[in-house]
Amino acid sequence: MPREIYAYKCKKCGHVHYPYRMVCRNCGKNEHNEFEPVPLPKTGKLLTFTTLYSLPPDFEVPSLGLAIVALENGITVTGQHRIDEPETGMAVSVEVEIVRRDGYDEHYGMVFYKA
Amino acid sequence: MTVRDVYVIGVGITSFTRLEYPLSEIAAYPAMMAMKDAGTRDIDHLYVANMGGGRVNHQTGLASAVVDTLSLTPAGAETIENGPASGGSAVKTGYMAVASGLHDTVMVTGAERMREVNNLEATDFVATLTHPLAEHIYGVTLPSLAAMFTRLYMEKYGVTERHLAMVAVKNQNAALRNEFAHLQQEISIDGILDSPEAMTNNPYVAELLRFFDCCPVSDGGACVILASEEVAGKVDRPLVRLAGVGQASDTHAVHEREDPTDLLAVRRAAAMAFERAGLTPADVDVAELHDAFTILEIVESEECGFFPKGEGHLALERGETALGGKLPINVSGGLKGRGHPVGATGVAQAYEIVHQLRGEAGERQVDGARVGFTCNFGGFGNNVVCLVFKREN
Ligand SMILES: [Zn+2]
Repeated sequence: MPREIYAYKCKKCGHVHYPYRMVCRNCGKNEHNEFEPVPLPKTGKLLTFTTLYSLPPDFEVPSLGLAIVALENGITVTGQHRIDEPETGMAVSVEVEIVRRDGYDEHYGMVFYKA
Repeated sequence: MTVRDVYVIGVGITSFTRLEYPLSEIAAYPAMMAMKDAGTRDIDHLYVANMGGGRVNHQTGLASAVVDTLSLTPAGAETIENGPASGGSAVKTGYMAVASGLHDTVMVTGAERMREVNNLEATDFVATLTHPLAEHIYGVTLPSLAAMFTRLYMEKYGVTERHLAMVAVKNQNAALRNEFAHLQQEISIDGILDSPEAMTNNPYVAELLRFFDCCPVSDGGACVILASEEVAGKVDRPLVRLAGVGQASDTHAVHEREDPTDLLAVRRAAAMAFERAGLTPADVDVAELHDAFTILEIVESEECGFFPKGEGHLALERGETALGGKLPINVSGGLKGRGHPVGATGVAQAYEIVHQLRGEAGERQVDGARVGFTCNFGGFGNNVVCLVFKREN
């Protein structure tokens, strides 16, 4: 299981993608997996968020914070937030943690905290 | 490109509720109604829209079951899965088959049986259409994407929870005039927003979206039969033409959109459908929009071109989108009131518009409706089908 989450930089035009896709969205010329993985920044800004009370069956918690964050380099990502009083525009830090367990699988993803 | 005109010659629908029938029968029952409506069993091909048969009902290859149970073999048949836009996609595919000259008469039937599992499992099944690694692993569901979208929309355009409640009340109460609709309970702004009990009656599902902002989980089926002009001319029904189809996609992950408050696939699919029909949003008399969440009706009413961006909630305030208003939206109850059996929804929208353009909609009839429009929204706006219908005689 990867503990680092990467964005993917097109070697032809430099456009950075998250998540991974097979062909570059910007130049369309990237045909042979010509992406360079680049680590995602660890800080960003909260764009929007929600607290979800109606959870998928494998989550054994009463509610779940979810958010979309604009990272420092302009890449936007979706993840979980653990912030008591979230506000749009606030600075957040990003940790990579287990975000979901289903059966024997543990999935790592981004978790946002108040910076 | 020369394309043939395509007409709707028959329609049928089931009640949208919990149905204790096999999925194939939920698809077949409205098909039988539609054949009776059209006065023909002469079907060249079937398209069966369904999203969850394989996952929820342990039934794959649904079209093969439906064509056989209707005793329409050896007509060709296929299942079309395009998430919650499966129904619109199937109608569009049927249009292509007739317009191209490949077939003269095609049946498009959509069906879903989601209540075989509980609500959380149904929501989880729909959530599998989100991006597996960038969204789904986090517990992202469609209501949570809609909630995050709602917060942005509120901040940018001044939409409030009251506007959302107004959509909920308008559509759920409209469903009282639709005998096939799932929800048959009158609600009020007071009961779901203002009264001391409102927070109990109407809790957050995903803040800022509440229980009454979300469509119910429904079983149901709907069918339209499409035909060439020559076939339609022999059918003794008011003549409704499927005048335009449009479809567009957007990024799989919502966060990748340059401005996440834009629903570009809706904008493009609608523009394409209008262009093909040679009509404009101003020509539309009645619309069925994909209000799986109340916010979506407001936003789609803008992106489809009926109101300027950011002003859909103002048109709602003025009553323009209610029955009797300038552009009645979701007089069937919409997904919110009629229900949302995902694979059937796009076909049910077409059913309602045909009903309206024929002047057969009874107490929810939009007077003198000649042009109708549907928007069937898949994913969280990453795959959208729009249709334009026109009464021709
Ligand atoms: Zn590139």
